[in-house]
Amino acid sequence: MFQQILQIVKLNFSLEWRHRQSILAVLLYVLTTTYLSYLVFNGLISSETWNALYWIVLIFAAVQAAFRSFQNEADRRFLLYFSLVRPQVLVIGKTIYNFFYLLVIGLFTFLLFLFLLGNIVADPWAFIVLLILASAGFACILTFVSGLAAKAGDNPALPAILSIPLLYPQVLALSRTSIRALTGFSWSVNAPVMMVLLLLALVSLLLSYLLFAYLWRD
Amino acid sequence: MKAHWWKALGVVLVLYTIILGFLGPVPRLPILNETIRVLYFHVTMWFAMIILMTASLSYSIGYLANNSRLRDLKAKESAVTGMFLATLGLVTGSIWARFTWGAFWVNDPKLNGTAVTMLIYLAYFVLRGSVEDPQKKARLAAVYNIFAFVMMIVFIGILPRMTDSLHPGNGGNPGFSGYDLNSDMRLVFYPAVIGWTLIGIWIMNLKLRYTQLIWRKNEHLD
Repeated sequence: MFQQILQIVKLNFSLEWRHRQSILAVLLYVLTTTYLSYLVFNGLISSETWNALYWIVLIFAAVQAAFRSFQNEADRRFLLYFSLVRPQVLVIGKTIYNFFYLLVIGLFTFLLFLFLLGNIVADPWAFIVLLILASAGFACILTFVSGLAAKAGDNPALPAILSIPLLYPQVLALSRTSIRALTGFSWSVNAPVMMVLLLLALVSLLLSYLLFAYLWRD
Repeated sequence: MKAHWWKALGVVLVLYTIILGFLGPVPRLPILNETIRVLYFHVTMWFAMIILMTASLSYSIGYLANNSRLRDLKAKESAVTGMFLATLGLVTGSIWARFTWGAFWVNDPKLNGTAVTMLIYLAYFVLRGSVEDPQKKARLAAVYNIFAFVMMIVFIGILPRMTDSLHPGNGGNPGFSGYDLNSDMRLVFYPAVIGWTLIGIWIMNLKLRYTQLIWRKNEHLD
C-alpha cells in the first residue's frame, strides 16, 4: 500500500512537470493578487493587515490550486486509477502531493509578501512552521472537497463555497497564531494551538480516507 | 409517524413555552434583566436545530449504507427544516444582541460558529442543486453532509472553548446555565426544546409526504 501511495505521489509530480504552465498560472495568480493588495493597501500596512491579507490571498490560491489537481482527472484518468489502486490509496497520495504543492505556493506567497508588503516578520521560522501546518490541514480538506466538486460537474463557484467554510476553524487558529510570529513568538505558549491544528488535519484526513470510496464509486 | 398524539404534544408544548415564557417568573440579573426570556426561544430553537442536523447526518450515513431514495430525501428535508430553525434562532439572537450588546452582529466565537454552520448547509443545498443525476446527487450530498457535520461540530464545540465568548456564562458574564438556570426556568426550557423539535419533525414530515406524493404521481404517469 505504501508503495502504491508513493507511486501516486511520483506520478502526480511527473505529470505536474509535464504541465508546468499550470503551477506557473497559480503562482501568477498569487503575484497579481499580492500586487493588488500592495496597490490598494499602499501605506496602510501594519502587522495586522499584513497577516490578514496573507491568509486571504493564500486561501484563494490554495482553493484554485487544489481544485485544478482533480479537474483533469474526473473523466479521463480516473478509470485507469480505479482499475489499478484502491480509492483510499488515491486520496492519500493526492493529499501528500497537494501538501507539497500548497507548501510551495505558501512559501512563494510568503517571500512575495516580504518583498512587496514589507519585511515585518519578527520570527520567520515560526511563520514557516505554521505554514507547514497550514499546508497539511488545507491539503487534507481541499483534496477531498475538490474531488467532490470535480464529480459534481463544472459549477465554477462550487469548490470555493464548499471548502472555504470548512477551512474557517483552521484559518481562525492560524491567523491568531501567525500574528504572534510577526510581533514576537513564544513556542511554549503556542504549542497547544499547533497541536489543535495538527489534530484538525488528522481528523479531516481520516474522514477523507473513510468517505472517498463512496465518492468515486460510479 | 402516522399517529397524531406527538403533533398535539408539540403544539401544547410550544403554546406552554410562549405563555409561560412571557409570563413566568425569571431571575433578575444585571444587564440581562427581562431579555433573559429569549433563552426560551433562541437557545431552544438551536437545540432543536442541532437535533435535526444530527438526524440529517444519520440519514446520510444510512443512505451510503443502502442507497435508498427515501433516506436521501429524509436527509435533505431534515437539513432544510434545521436551516429554518437556525434562521429563526439567528433572528431572535440578533435582536437580543442589539439590546444587550448594542449591535446586531459581533465577532464572537459562537456567532462565527453559527455563520459557519449556515454557510456549510447553504453550500450543501447548492451542491444538491448543481448535480442532475439523482443517484449521484444523493451520494455526493451524503458524503459532503458527513464531512461538513464533523467540521461543524469541531467549530461550534471545540474552538469557542479555547477563546473567550461574549455569551452569558462565558468570560465572567452573568449566564443562564449552571448556577443560575433556576428551577423556574428549567420548567420552561426543557419542554421548549422538545416542543420545537416536535414541530420541526412535523414540518419535515409534511414536506416528506408532499414529495412522496409527487413521486407517486410521476410513477403513475410513466
